[in-house]
Amino acid sequence: MGIVMFKLSSTRRGVNALLLGTALASLLPAVSFANPQAGGTLTITTTPEPAIITNALSSAPTTAELATKIFDGLLEYDMDLKPKPSLAESWTISPDGKTITFKLRQGVTWHDGKPFTSADVQFSLMEVVKKFHPRGQGNLGPVQSIDTPDSHTAVFNLAHPYPPLMMGLSSLESPIVPRHIYEGTDFRNNPAVNNPIGTGPFKFARWEKGNFIQLDKNENYWRPGRPYLDRLIIRFIADSVTRAAGVERGEIDVATFGTINPVEMRRLEGLPHLAIAKGGYEAIAPLMMLELNVQKPPFDDKRVRLAVAYALDRTFITRAIWHGFGKPAVGPISSFMKGNGAFTDQNILRFDVKDRLDIANRLLDEAGLKRSSANGMRFKIVHDPAPFGEDWRRMGEYIKQALARVGIDVELRNRDYPSFVRLVHNEYDFNMTSTWSIGMADPTLGVQRQTWSKTINKNVPFGNVSQYTNPEVDKLWEAAQVEIDPAKRNQIFHKLQELLVADSPIIWLMEMDLVAVQNKRVQDLITSPLGLRGGLYDTWIKP
Amino acid sequence: MWFARGKYIIERLIRGLPIIFAIVVVNFFLVRLAPGDAAQVLAGEAGAASPEYLEQIRRQFGLDQPLYVQFFSYMKNILVFDLGYSFRHGREVSSLIFERFGATALLMAAAMTASVTMGIVLGAIAAMRDRTVISHLIIIFAVVSYATPLFWVGLMLIIVFSIQLGWFPTSGIITVGADYTGLRAVLDVLHHLVLPAIALSCFYMALYTRLMRSSLLETLGQDFIRTARAKGLADRTIVSTHALRNAALPVVTMAGVQVSGMLGGSVIVESVFGWPGLGLLAFESLFARDINLLLGIFFLSSILVVVTNAVVDVVYTIVDPRIALNSGRSNG
Repeated sequence: MGIVMFKLSSTRRGVNALLLGTALASLLPAVSFANPQAGGTLTITTTPEPAIITNALSSAPTTAELATKIFDGLLEYDMDLKPKPSLAESWTISPDGKTITFKLRQGVTWHDGKPFTSADVQFSLMEVVKKFHPRGQGNLGPVQSIDTPDSHTAVFNLAHPYPPLMMGLSSLESPIVPRHIYEGTDFRNNPAVNNPIGTGPFKFARWEKGNFIQLDKNENYWRPGRPYLDRLIIRFIADSVTRAAGVERGEIDVATFGTINPVEMRRLEGLPHLAIAKGGYEAIAPLMMLELNVQKPPFDDKRVRLAVAYALDRTFITRAIWHGFGKPAVGPISSFMKGNGAFTDQNILRFDVKDRLDIANRLLDEAGLKRSSANGMRFKIVHDPAPFGEDWRRMGEYIKQALARVGIDVELRNRDYPSFVRLVHNEYDFNMTSTWSIGMADPTLGVQRQTWSKTINKNVPFGNVSQYTNPEVDKLWEAAQVEIDPAKRNQIFHKLQELLVADSPIIWLMEMDLVAVQNKRVQDLITSPLGLRGGLYDTWIKP
Repeated sequence: MWFARGKYIIERLIRGLPIIFAIVVVNFFLVRLAPGDAAQVLAGEAGAASPEYLEQIRRQFGLDQPLYVQFFSYMKNILVFDLGYSFRHGREVSSLIFERFGATALLMAAAMTASVTMGIVLGAIAAMRDRTVISHLIIIFAVVSYATPLFWVGLMLIIVFSIQLGWFPTSGIITVGADYTGLRAVLDVLHHLVLPAIALSCFYMALYTRLMRSSLLETLGQDFIRTARAKGLADRTIVSTHALRNAALPVVTMAGVQVSGMLGGSVIVESVFGWPGLGLLAFESLFARDINLLLGIFFLSSILVVVTNAVVDVVYTIVDPRIALNSGRSNG
């Protein structure tokens, strides 16, 4: 939302300048700043350093941040998450929803000069993204084949209608890679994976491991006059305080979310040359949550789950632990999905009521979990905070305190990342764990996997780790996969929102603002719902 | 003499081979005790994964092979110095290590030089001016440096000298994007080197200062010094020609130990200053369970320690000619 406002106000400023300009033309050097200036180097810091930089093979966040500059997708999305052209200029969907025809852009070339054709689309989506991308099955599962009647037409043949498909064709989810480089090779071991060729606004230049990656402007980019920047440098610094120092001193222009602690971001925000870049995560819909193991006592009892939901103060978590970078969550489907109508807050059980602690105590009493006379505690659980940094540990400490007030004794178990994944996601040896998840632009793509019984799988981390099984919920998720009427589909999502919150196998805590810290000399940083995971071709630097 | 030294070094290195072998074997099994494997980490970072995806990665990494098969193929490769392949980075382990080794070597050499020089000088001053204000100040400085955590020293240096005074860059090894060449590039690296080298040398400088001071004080109390003094030599000459060499022996010993210890310290310094070296690589590969890479770095470190110990023994004979090289017994 913030970004829409920002854009409006900058447009208005432009209009005002124009009006004034007619009268006071000579007094307005500021007008030149409204026009983007070409040139300059933008330095971004992110963490951790990615293992690879071709996102057709990995959906790791930093891989995505890099690769979306190098590759294009068939589509992009506007701030209301409506599809708009990218490599595809136009598209038509057949009435039965099973055939989608994309007309591709003419005259686009790969960074090595070869022409881009429909064969690249067919190869990328069927041979690469669907097979290798961790979300490829979710995005493209029902696509059975892609026909290429001519060099600039691609016809998708679907097994059944699949509305989420149109939301999964950005460069983030389904990047188009060059067939002539990869065909007939072992894709993952092809040297081009870390020396990529794309059609995007920036070309890969070099990678100094442990130090930085350099991308140079693609002079032949198909968007005329873009990108504005000559060069993008992505720096990797292991320590968050050092990253903050680099931003403060102006050595770094942009620090992505998660690179600087929220408390430090608030301090930097107060400096004259720095600002918080809001927006640019609408299509990602990031949500923070507590996953409960519903197969084991005590969380096999719905009353205990609800008691925890009541006992936690989401507003406090948002304000004190995350320093206001977010807002309390309503349920699994985030309000970022307001634009397409999937979100609702009507008929949803609310936990932020005045007597929430009394309700929590009553629920626990009803569940037969009486306070012991010795220490006033009812029972003990283990909480595994997500191993994503000190803020997550701090939230774990808050949860320990908050639950102690209703008589739940919490033991915190902080582990390193691989140990955490093995214990929680592969062995299901946990009671309660915190995490965050990206909902994507469509609930079927990102939200479904947490509560659909078919995504319970010990071998696959970050699925339905709560092991929640509810036939009614399953039926609704499966109906949403094939429903082509948007209004009916949204009703399904509203019903899911209501059912899931009432059952609370997961406690949805906060809709996260994945804000970045930026130097004010950087202009138009966030111009897409993918934010820093967009192409940055509109971004420019005030000289 | 030099021939004897060369022969001695080679003998020492040959005797080091079984040690390195044992280290490699122990490491191989030790790193596998940590829960979780590289495939899970990659899948976890990806945020979502299908069973097919995990299976693909495991097969590609050879993680689906029985442990003994993995062990024998690893040992076979290491005999011909093939450190294997880092699937995470998609590169040969040896090329990754050598690419990063230079930065660490530079940092360690600078820190070593700074700490030994400063330690000997400060320690000598403290000993010669024993029980004066200067000596007390030096001792306090040494205690504080010794006791301060490395990461805190690093951060304070950044806050004071980078942010407040603006004298040095906050992090990195070069000014990225400036594309300096020639002398300008060398100066640029040195400019970036100052703060991390000071941070890393602090602890050891304190150690050497205290060591040098007590050692020199002890030496100055010995009979041959009294003799020299009785001959009417000036204090300065006594210290520089008679006492210093003797007093420096413990410092040389410590400096030998430091080389292996510094690799540990460089993990922290490299992390704080974004210095793209080996310590950082080891740290990251541990969390990524990039076992081949981790084992490669351990392997290199063990070689480094064996070689350094041999070199320290030889340096002993140069500093103190009374010590004879005898391959039959250890001089360490």
